[in-house]
Amino acid sequence: MTRKNIKSPVRETWSHFSRSWFSVSGLIILAFLVVVAVSGKVLTEWFVVFDAETVRLPQKLLPPMSLANTNSFDETKGLLFGRYLLGTDELGRDVFARMLQGSFVSLSIGLFAVGISLVVGISLGGLAGFYGDKKIGIIRVDTLIMRFTDVMLAFPTFFLILTVVALLPPSIYNIMAVIGLTSWMGTARFVRAEFLSLRDADFVVAAKALGASEMRIIFRHMVPNAVAPVFVSATLGVASAILAESALSFLGFGVRPPYATWGNILSDGRSYIFDAPWLFFVPGFAILVVVLAFNLVGEGLREALNPQLRRTK
Amino acid sequence: MMFKYFTRALTQRIFLAFLISIIAHAVVHLAPGEPSEVDPSNPLMKPEDIAQIRMAFHLDQPLYLQYAYWIRDLVNGDLKSFKDSQPVLPKIWERFLNSLPLFFVGTLIVWCLSFPTGIYAAVNRGSKYDRLSTFGSYALISLPSFFLAYVAILWVVNNFGVPVLGMRTFGLEDASGISRFMDRVWHLVLPSFLSAMGGVAVLSRYVRSQMLEVIDQDYVRTARSKGLDEDTVIYKHALRNALLPFITMFGLMLPAMVGGSVIVEQIFAWPGLGRLGYEAILNRDYPVILTLNFIAALLTLLGTFISDVLYAVADPRIRLQ
Amino acid sequence: MILKNALLFIPFLVFLGLLQSYLWVPTYGDQTTAGDGRLEKFISAISGDARLLNPIVAADSASGFVVSHVFDSLLEIDENLRLKPHLAKEYKVSCLATIVVGEGFSPESLLQKISPHLTSEASEIRVLEPSTLIRLIDPDGPGPLKEQEVKVTRPNRIEFSLDDVDPSFFEKSLKVLGAEYGQEVTGISAVSVSGKISEGLISIATALAPITEIRPVIDFDLRKDVTFHDGEAFDASDVKFTYEAIMDVRNLSPRRSDFEPIESIHIRDSHSVRVIYKRPFAPAIFVWSYMGILPEHLLNSVALDKEMDARGISGTARDGFGVRASKFNRSPIGTGAFKFTDWKTDESISLARNQDYFDGPPEYKELHVRIIPDSVAREVEFKAGAVDTYLADPHQVARYLKDPAYQPFTSLGLGYTYIGYNLRREPFQDVRVRRALGMAINIDEIIDYVLYGEGQRITGPYPIQTDWYNHDVLPEAYDPEKALDLLKEAGFHKNSEGFLEKNGQELRFNLISNNGNPQRKAILTIAQNSWRKLGIRCDTRLLEWAVFLKDYVNTGDFDAVVLGWGLSELDPDLYQIWHSSQTGPQQLNFVGYKNNEVDNLIENLREEYSRTRQVKMARNLHSLIAKDQPYTFLYVGRRTQVVDRKIVMVKRNESGSVVDYEKLRPTPTGNLNYFFNRWRKLEAIPDL
Repeated sequence: MTRKNIKSPVRETWSHFSRSWFSVSGLIILAFLVVVAVSGKVLTEWFVVFDAETVRLPQKLLPPMSLANTNSFDETKGLLFGRYLLGTDELGRDVFARMLQGSFVSLSIGLFAVGISLVVGISLGGLAGFYGDKKIGIIRVDTLIMRFTDVMLAFPTFFLILTVVALLPPSIYNIMAVIGLTSWMGTARFVRAEFLSLRDADFVVAAKALGASEMRIIFRHMVPNAVAPVFVSATLGVASAILAESALSFLGFGVRPPYATWGNILSDGRSYIFDAPWLFFVPGFAILVVVLAFNLVGEGLREALNPQLRRTK
Repeated sequence: MMFKYFTRALTQRIFLAFLISIIAHAVVHLAPGEPSEVDPSNPLMKPEDIAQIRMAFHLDQPLYLQYAYWIRDLVNGDLKSFKDSQPVLPKIWERFLNSLPLFFVGTLIVWCLSFPTGIYAAVNRGSKYDRLSTFGSYALISLPSFFLAYVAILWVVNNFGVPVLGMRTFGLEDASGISRFMDRVWHLVLPSFLSAMGGVAVLSRYVRSQMLEVIDQDYVRTARSKGLDEDTVIYKHALRNALLPFITMFGLMLPAMVGGSVIVEQIFAWPGLGRLGYEAILNRDYPVILTLNFIAALLTLLGTFISDVLYAVADPRIRLQ
Repeated sequence: MILKNALLFIPFLVFLGLLQSYLWVPTYGDQTTAGDGRLEKFISAISGDARLLNPIVAADSASGFVVSHVFDSLLEIDENLRLKPHLAKEYKVSCLATIVVGEGFSPESLLQKISPHLTSEASEIRVLEPSTLIRLIDPDGPGPLKEQEVKVTRPNRIEFSLDDVDPSFFEKSLKVLGAEYGQEVTGISAVSVSGKISEGLISIATALAPITEIRPVIDFDLRKDVTFHDGEAFDASDVKFTYEAIMDVRNLSPRRSDFEPIESIHIRDSHSVRVIYKRPFAPAIFVWSYMGILPEHLLNSVALDKEMDARGISGTARDGFGVRASKFNRSPIGTGAFKFTDWKTDESISLARNQDYFDGPPEYKELHVRIIPDSVAREVEFKAGAVDTYLADPHQVARYLKDPAYQPFTSLGLGYTYIGYNLRREPFQDVRVRRALGMAINIDEIIDYVLYGEGQRITGPYPIQTDWYNHDVLPEAYDPEKALDLLKEAGFHKNSEGFLEKNGQELRFNLISNNGNPQRKAILTIAQNSWRKLGIRCDTRLLEWAVFLKDYVNTGDFDAVVLGWGLSELDPDLYQIWHSSQTGPQQLNFVGYKNNEVDNLIENLREEYSRTRQVKMARNLHSLIAKDQPYTFLYVGRRTQVVDRKIVMVKRNESGSVVDYEKLRPTPTGNLNYFFNRWRKLEAIPDL
């Protein structure tokens, strides 16, 4: 056997992943999105190249590609070619700059929300899976955690949203938290299942026999093996977090100004659907493209990481 | 053995229900804000009136007493909405009946579409169809539902000129029974498709992966090697075994009725449970919020109970755990 | 393979079944043609469902709209803003004036002494025998109720009946009698109390037994030809009952404080009632112009008992069961031009023409209110012709103004929007800073572009269309340069980064508002932007209403807020919002405004009954507050109702045949519904 034939798991996964044209284009879009989001933060807030904040009331609701009226405003600063590339909104702000600024916020909401959900989900699922048989008083840890998961699943989402909006001062972090804290239950469930099956797997039993510490077993042996499905669900989770933020915006519980997010640009834009359709369709399509990209990448990963499915090909 | 398993599952859930009721009550009442009837920022309202209203709603009592009042009134059936002083349970029941057709047709669409799509994609794995259906189903869940709802409404109204909002066409009371029925069916089409969209995407992917898993199992190979034709193998042997996990899904679908379609109901002016809950939250109508959430929680617990039972019946190994 | 085919066929059948229903549905075109009586139905769209269809508890606009068509009030305000009889045939305002007979006087000697000093002629003079009053009062005001029983012994009094309300009737006589007159027989000496006597109690008790009283009286003569929709005749007991129901604490009526000045209502005969007021209060008569009269026979205690029995309500729940809880509120019966027919919760409310209406039946046969929560959906239905009218958003109005198929009607609201500054904090204590902040915002531009011209700028604490508003106070012009000068005068200068600072402290503060109001959100952003141009850093935040009130406004934890007040047109009282005693937590003067001159004026205004003097004082108040600029007063917003242009007003001659059509018009206060009973829809847009 030559060295060439042994592929590292990462390379193998990549070779499976890259077979799907959709997944690859999704990945390219995501890479592009990250660039956009970072430059959005840098170019609209740190070095103001695109001005997302200046209100120019007389120039409101201009369609995309309109020339900015330079007579009334000495500064065409903050515009590309002196034009509003994606038009202006109801206060005369540049939609292009706002979308750019929003991309960073939307993306970070997605990432942080999923981060929170993963931390909670993995720790609770892991605890239940690994220490499930231990008892606190008369209740098994597993029972306790899994019943708590049931309780969380039992509340309708809008109720949980109200809870967080009500109990914490409203801020962008709480939107991240509310989305994260209402979506960890799935992760917890399958991490538990994965741990339960790994607990009895040969290599774990062997490690135990060799006297490895519990922490070592958990973090060296079990977590890496359970990580693949977690990774997939995280990718899909970002997609649904971005959608959840826009749904919250629609119901009036979303991220508040001064932060622009794609969700609140879209939900503000809906009242102007007849007067300024671009306020509605630009963020709508942006969300579609990005969420779709996350979903396709997640799907590609799922296929590539699933050994069982791989075998048949 | 079986009996013991059921009683344990049941008592656990009753205890859970009690716990949920306490948490829900505490959270709703600890949240800042008061019912919109108590409007301290309205200069036309005198402090005496506000004190009077707070007293009538028991808002001046300690939390545990308010909880006791809630449970007592709920059990007696005396619980009244702050908003219109109507009894809460009949109110919820009325909305439940309105949400039911939407839920039913939506579920029908989900299950009808997901199975053929999912199975076909699994059988022809990697084909153009498979990739297209993957892309299509993800595209469907990648749009905010209200975006799609507006586009759909405007498209239908502009191109076909027929009403789509509400549960029925307004002013059709004198038409014949059959046209009124068909009219109600028509008004179900758009909202139920929209609320089914996410379900179709998720379930069809799930069916596909279940089928893929089963297709490789030994008994399917055996069946195939016996020389049975491919359709029999897939639809008889494979599908039957792939169906087992879907039993759980039946139970978990119940609570989606309450919170699942707030946005669709809001846009389509559909007088359902989701809208009732949303408006109650905005008005801080505590009795309605609490009862609605409690019912949703009970439904979930009932759902998980049913699915546990079904599972236990279908797969005896579970009981021994 | 059956299963395979079934899996393909069932979805196909389901879709076919669903989609074929399209063929059965009438198009918008079919619906709007005259054939099925569409022209005789008026359909209005509204965003939220009605709560309680009962005039004494209706507080939201949907309930108010329905109630105004189902119930009638005793009086009406006509198109010239004058009171006009409605359910009452006639009304007459008079007055009862009483004075205590003090020690050392007999009724005769007192009369002799004061009669040269009385300011009007009495039509009747009577001597009242001594009497006792027993009242339960709560000395601590609002909060948990601790009622104490108070017994007031009232000595001999003389009562004068006057033809006009004369608040100063005894003024001169009291001067003649001296400051000590009557003290020994009234006030606390006349009161016996169960329990402890506190300071609050003393003032309440003194008010219960004053030396002189001026009590206005209104006598209503009711129409005899009016019946309720169930056939029962309308009479005086219904009026008295309506008042009692409002005052009944179980009903939590939001109108209770409007009726508080009433002392009692007496039925004189089956169709005449006398209302006696506790004190002169000029606007009090206006409550009779909007309060619908309830049918006593359906809501009195006998009827409620019957309803409770039928609904199986028992035990403690019976005690709290009042008019508010009755099923009546979901199927109301009144005397109005329309009868209630149906209410589908969160879908629609339907009314039908009252053929026997005493004022002549309305033109429309049916009146419907459809509940459509989403604003885009409302517009879609309106444009398709399925709805005849709705309240449009400002940006939509701009479009309807140009469209010949619609007629928009605008009216000024009674609320105004402002930016309030927390006067307890630096730098807002300096009036120059407040003025500068106001000057830096282009308010006219906000009105033009955010409200699409649907608003009017104001300069002080009253809505612009009321008499209280002082038109001599001119708005300050938009002038960022002068604003900068003012700030420099106040000690601020630009630092190296271009921001203003004073003593090394950068001028930076937060501006908050409540979530869910697009206009306030826009103002927030615009203010932030305008101030940044001056070199002020302002952090904005939108908060959920409940959080906003509880954690920020009520605790005074804010620098500046964008908010609005909704006021009443009848009452110039500013006590709650501007008096310095109202600056505590939970109180409405949350900006902490304190000005002695204003305080005195507010107190005096509360006790002033002459309309002309009231107007003078209110305008004075306006200019005082405007000078201090504790708020940057922004605008009074307009509401616009868009109506299909096919709808016109019918003019009939005496024999009842149609003579002419007129364009719809609102009353000067903007009440479009005043002529509703004459509205009708034509098949085509008329040439008017």
